[in-house]
Amino acid sequence: MATKQNAAMSQPDGHDYTGASGTEAPVCATGIEGFDFIMHGGLPAACPTLLRGGPGTGKTVISLSFLCHGLDIGEPGVMVTFDESPQALIRHADALGLGLGEHVEAGRARILDMRPDREEMTSGESLELSAILARIGHALAQTGAQRLVIDAIDVLEGAFAGAEGSVESELRRVFGWIRERETSTLITIGEHGDFNRRHGIEDYIADCVIALKQEVTERTMIRLLRVVKRRGGGHGTNEFPYLISEEGIFVLPLTGSRLRPTPTREPISTGVAGLDGMLGQAGIYRGATAMYSGQSGTGKTTFAASFAQAACERGEDVLYLSFEEGAEELMQNQRSVGLDLQGCTENPAGAGKLVLEPMLAAETGWEEHLLRILRAVRQYRPSVVILDPLSALSHKIADANSKAMVLRLLSLLKVEGVTTVATELLSDISGGESPLDVSSAVDVWVKLRREERGDTLHRLLTVVKSRGMFTADYLNEYTLSDRGVATHGRPGKTKDGEQ
Amino acid sequence: MTAIVLRLYIAGKTATAERAIGNLRRLITEIEETGQRVDLEIVDILEQPQLAEDERILATPVVIKKLPEPLRRIAGDLSALDQVLIGLDLQVR
Repeated sequence: MATKQNAAMSQPDGHDYTGASGTEAPVCATGIEGFDFIMHGGLPAACPTLLRGGPGTGKTVISLSFLCHGLDIGEPGVMVTFDESPQALIRHADALGLGLGEHVEAGRARILDMRPDREEMTSGESLELSAILARIGHALAQTGAQRLVIDAIDVLEGAFAGAEGSVESELRRVFGWIRERETSTLITIGEHGDFNRRHGIEDYIADCVIALKQEVTERTMIRLLRVVKRRGGGHGTNEFPYLISEEGIFVLPLTGSRLRPTPTREPISTGVAGLDGMLGQAGIYRGATAMYSGQSGTGKTTFAASFAQAACERGEDVLYLSFEEGAEELMQNQRSVGLDLQGCTENPAGAGKLVLEPMLAAETGWEEHLLRILRAVRQYRPSVVILDPLSALSHKIADANSKAMVLRLLSLLKVEGVTTVATELLSDISGGESPLDVSSAVDVWVKLRREERGDTLHRLLTVVKSRGMFTADYLNEYTLSDRGVATHGRPGKTKDGEQ
Repeated sequence: MTAIVLRLYIAGKTATAERAIGNLRRLITEIEETGQRVDLEIVDILEQPQLAEDERILATPVVIKKLPEPLRRIAGDLSALDQVLIGLDLQVR
């Protein structure tokens, strides 16, 4: 048991997910990183956990992950299914890359098909469910299972018409028996009815209860996970948003993160020499958060793309999240100002790779956006992340959540240790005021604006703030041409001759 | 005439199991009075859990009519004999 506990607690990335106490009961990791983090390492070992939630909340995905993670670390397992066929479960798991089929073939895992036979009739009012116990016990003994999943057992109720009374008392016996097995068990039930309360699963049987739900607010759907109870162990107390996709469950402990980035003093170029000059010649610190705010037509995306291209040329990987333009459109538009984003995506020798991911801001809620962004960061592990324009995310969120969400996103990215470059659209009537108002969350803030003087359009940039480094206090005029951004120094001085 | 093959699965010698055995035996006597032959095998799944797995049994007692086809099954203490006959598709003429 001790080695099992250690395996679950010390994650391969070296982070300590368990807290300092070290006195918590042994756990059984599910292999779902964010979920195990919330659960302080995993589900309680050697006792039952109840996972409840309506259809489509991902109960089966979590169950399969729990089972297969055990198999991967050498713990045989048994899955009892009351709803889906074993074949469907294997297909489901294999589609998630969990490789359940292999383990079943090798005899390390068993799936017990306990779908009720709807053709079967009942005569008389008394029935016994000992067969369920005998079958599970047999499979546990034969595989030497350390993990047990009982999926959708509430289906059993109502499966035997005319014998409801005895099924109810028999189910109580089944749960009592499961509890006595002292096997790490995950029981899932649907959210309908009051099944778990009537059978006392939540109160007496399960040491740990996790509730999943889907909510629709402002016409966007969000899935939320909450740990309702946990005997003798810690857990996060919030509702945690999560995603289900072909890659499985992605949960992010949006609060309660205990990781801290190490600040660096290594400057990296912004890709615009004149702007680097305004930042003490060198650019911004690695791991910092920079924001370019400006009206439309000031070239915010070109500044962001210049940053991306410079990073790739230094050999760093960049994740470019485009919230308004598609990938083709973005590459084409930037080609006209001399930036070859396409070349960067093709990963030339010695250069870093650019991943361009359009994430259209419509349709999804902010939690989902946050999760998708963080998932992409975890997937590609870039050193630079571009959010262009960040304001597109907040435009659809007219409420007070908007600022909180942006702050959270920026701080989560900082925790990931990436350098973040965001752009923000300022309206012409904003007077240069930032609608996102996230100045406290950014380390470097560059404002871009345009001015019409006479018959000429002038573009000017200022460094509003730059934490911990030299900041030029002058306005710098710049132009956008087929060779990118070019700066010309203080307006009215270097370019006097031309006016 | 081929025999009717019935298999009764029980989980230990419980009161319900004993009732089911009694009820089924009574029914078999009635059936045999019509000239049909019935083979009955009683299986205790606590002794042979793999058989419960093979037959996908959830509730006991349960009687499965193996022959003649089609396969039929009925669970419970078999106290309602009419239902048992319908469930197993058997006739007592």
